Amino acid sequence: MTTLWDIIHLLTETPLFFVAIGGLTWGILGGALPGISASITMALVLPFTYTMDPAQAIALLACVYIGAEYGGSIPAILIRTPGTNSSAATVIDGYEMNRQGRAGEALGISLMSGVVGSLFGLAMLILLTEPLSWLALAFTPPSYFGLGILGLSVIASMSGGSLIKGLAAATVGLMIATVGTDPISGVTRFTFDIPDLLGGIEPVLVMVGLFALTELMSQSGSSTVLQLNETIRIKLPSWSMMNKLKRSQTIGCILGLFEGLTPGGGGSIAAFMSYNEAKRWSKTPQSFGKGSEEGVAAPEAANNTVASTALIPLLSFGIPSSNSTAVLLGGLLMHGLIPGPRLFEQSAQVIDSIYVGSFIAIIAQIGVGMIILPACIWLVNRPRAYRAGFIFALILSGIFTLNNSLFDLGIALALGLVGYLMRIAGFPVLPMILGVVLGHMVESSYRRSLVLSGGEHMIFLQDPIAVCLLSIALIFVVFSLSREFRDARKTKIEEAHS
Amino acid sequence: MYKDLISGVVLLAVSGTYYAWSSQIADSTLSDEVGATGLPRVLSVILAILAVLLIGRAMLLRRARTATAAADADEGDAGLPRAIGFLLLGAVYVFVLPFIGYVAGTALLIGAVALYEGAPRHWVVVAAAVGGAVFYWAIFVKLLGVHQPVGTLFQGMF
Amino acid sequence: MHFMKLIGRTALGLATAAILSSAAAKADPLPYPNKVVTLVTHSSPGGGSDVFLREMTKYLGKYIGATFIVENVQGGSGAKAMARVATAPADGSVFYATTPTYIYTSLMSKPQNTYKDMDPLVNIFADSEVIYTRTDGPFKSLKDVIDHAKKERGRWGAANPASLERQAAEQLKKAAGVTPAIVTHEGGGDMMLNVLNGTLDIGIGEIQELRSQLDAGKITLLATFNPERITEKPDVPTVKESGFDVSLVKFRGLAGPKGIPESTTAIWDEAVKKLLEDPDYKKAYTAEVLVPQFIGHKDYPAFIDNFGSTTGAFLKSTGAIK
Repeated sequence: MTTLWDIIHLLTETPLFFVAIGGLTWGILGGALPGISASITMALVLPFTYTMDPAQAIALLACVYIGAEYGGSIPAILIRTPGTNSSAATVIDGYEMNRQGRAGEALGISLMSGVVGSLFGLAMLILLTEPLSWLALAFTPPSYFGLGILGLSVIASMSGGSLIKGLAAATVGLMIATVGTDPISGVTRFTFDIPDLLGGIEPVLVMVGLFALTELMSQSGSSTVLQLNETIRIKLPSWSMMNKLKRSQTIGCILGLFEGLTPGGGGSIAAFMSYNEAKRWSKTPQSFGKGSEEGVAAPEAANNTVASTALIPLLSFGIPSSNSTAVLLGGLLMHGLIPGPRLFEQSAQVIDSIYVGSFIAIIAQIGVGMIILPACIWLVNRPRAYRAGFIFALILSGIFTLNNSLFDLGIALALGLVGYLMRIAGFPVLPMILGVVLGHMVESSYRRSLVLSGGEHMIFLQDPIAVCLLSIALIFVVFSLSREFRDARKTKIEEAHS
Repeated sequence: MYKDLISGVVLLAVSGTYYAWSSQIADSTLSDEVGATGLPRVLSVILAILAVLLIGRAMLLRRARTATAAADADEGDAGLPRAIGFLLLGAVYVFVLPFIGYVAGTALLIGAVALYEGAPRHWVVVAAAVGGAVFYWAIFVKLLGVHQPVGTLFQGMF
Repeated sequence: MHFMKLIGRTALGLATAAILSSAAAKADPLPYPNKVVTLVTHSSPGGGSDVFLREMTKYLGKYIGATFIVENVQGGSGAKAMARVATAPADGSVFYATTPTYIYTSLMSKPQNTYKDMDPLVNIFADSEVIYTRTDGPFKSLKDVIDHAKKERGRWGAANPASLERQAAEQLKKAAGVTPAIVTHEGGGDMMLNVLNGTLDIGIGEIQELRSQLDAGKITLLATFNPERITEKPDVPTVKESGFDVSLVKFRGLAGPKGIPESTTAIWDEAVKKLLEDPDYKKAYTAEVLVPQFIGHKDYPAFIDNFGSTTGAFLKSTGAIK
């Protein structure tokens, strides 16, 4: 068993300290490069860990994961490019704050919300691994279907005024998700015999295309110039601001906790849902989408929580809930460590060093952030002509990293055009991204459930978790539709009066 | 509201094409009752309904208020040719990358975009382009170990 | 008690391994025409074939005088990796880690370069495909499962769609004359959750993915699809012994571009034989429940062709391919 003395010893042990900070910095760098996801960042260091001491190797990978989940928010705020899938929701208000010249403030909020989320996640990992692991076990195919539908129910409130357009965008997103190998029968769909399409279209390509390229294109097309920040100082939120963000961070933490436990999502669902919930429970919901601090805090707390809680099913069952934890599993196996209940008994030192290393990394995140963020702000405030060239080259280089494929670059460029046309025609892009992220889970769990039940839809009503999630989804939809209609009527009345 | 009308027609076309493609999916007995074509079929029907709704609404609104319609011909679309030009620079990059390789290609991309975005024709552009390309090469190829294309033109030089 | 025994055994193993490895290290590696040999896998870092290759390269240098690099060419379920290897120079500098996946991808997705465009070099291992259930569940043997499936609709899981696991499930279904629902998953981890929580009666997957819960005693193996019992798990009967004539080999080996010189393939034949006898490596792979199955360059192409045509016939009969 772990004693206090062991922990103090590990905390002060120099190698672990450097390992944690090194891993964190590497993770932030990788996460901040668009196209390089948390899992790729981890995979890139994996070969270096083979020769390390197992406990330090695993701690290193865990710290890289923490850094990458945080790092993804930096380009999301600064250049409208989510560095990782789960930072897509941060783009909405983070980039808006940046446009208003509040980049330093947005980065400060994402940094501190990330720290709050990570600390909460780590506390859950240390204290509640056992009970929470049983929750992960309770998820059956119908439950996953419920979870996917719950994620999709957010579309209604992310449609930005036009429900038809939002739904159409989401449908196209779901269509994009069907490209590749069918999850149940294994036959190929919409691949046109192109090997690059067999694995489907990666969500990050869609995000980069729709967010970043579209933004670059419209900056090129329009005469309005992005407001430059006079100061490159990073502004950490004050106590009163943290107090204001408390509610949205709590929402993010709780949703992040659950998503971390359930295989499949990897943080994106929690980020989107917590954004949505933070908006619902906010005192100033109207400021969401227009540079709300809470709109940055909620998704950032959520995706950083996931980086710790995703280790719960991994360590207790050996089940990786995302690509990133799959790499971590690979790291464990390389060192002959088999995750599972006995890992906690036999390799307590490894577990302890994950805990302590993560803790060091989370605290160090503030210091590392304060050092590198001003440099990032300075970089994106170069004259527009050069900035556009550098961002474009960065995005294309990053996407290439995904599969070493030029075909992916072509897809991203095509989606950039789609996004630009959608912007002109007034279609919201967020529902489309949700569709791409969730399509696979919704379809495969739906069909898997029906295979189990022999075609009976009753299976969704017999599963308590599914019933619970589906009813919440229903409440969401009804609630946001009624709000939508109320708002529409209000604007109509206002128009009539003016 | 003509934009909604056009979007509706485009979406209808997308839905039709997608439906037609979905009929090419192989039918396997390993599949379930819903099948690999199940969701695609449903999605194309949903999209078609939404497209029709969009077209219908646009027609109704057009009749109702032609006056306010002029107001929504705003910012964005005036820059469409410029924006597409920007994208084309990227397309050219993707096309020439296998021949001239990552460093030269990236330098050309940064330089071309800078000039396209109105940087003065000055040696600074060249310096930024070359410097930027080397910087990215250092990050992606050296630090991260990504196999960016070397380029057939320079093959054997490295 | 068990725990202490385990520590004792490991310590003993380490001691013998240390003595033997010093002897083995003295053996001269065979001269090889290339300084650097790239081993390509379609699996991501940390994935099954990746771990296999990286583990193997630790020991391979003792027997072949070259440096080994593992390259992950992901995407297209192996289609890209196959293209990478099939078009590489046939001088013995590039090889591909074969698993049944490359046959399935070749047949299902018809990429430009298929398994037929490569020359199978040597087979090294057979993975253990097993049938498992949860320990506190109602099933104690494969017969229980089949009986249950006869009475009511059984629920079986296969780790991946259109894969060897799925094929195994279909063949068992036929051999036993039952019609359970077969639920495919995306990876064994996902399926193991559904076996543990009782959604599925049994799962069909690789033993490697189950090790955590096997060790914890939450999961019991009912049978293996291997032709013979697994040495590490002598109590687990084969499916054939349980009365159903189904057996499968999930192979792991190497293939290269067409036209590798015979002198090079001879080096591999000799080196892999020695490698499998290496005491350190033997200890490592036995712990991973990999069964050594050496098939030399003379017989490997016929083995792969046979596997390919059997699989092709199966997929055709289901309509998955035309």
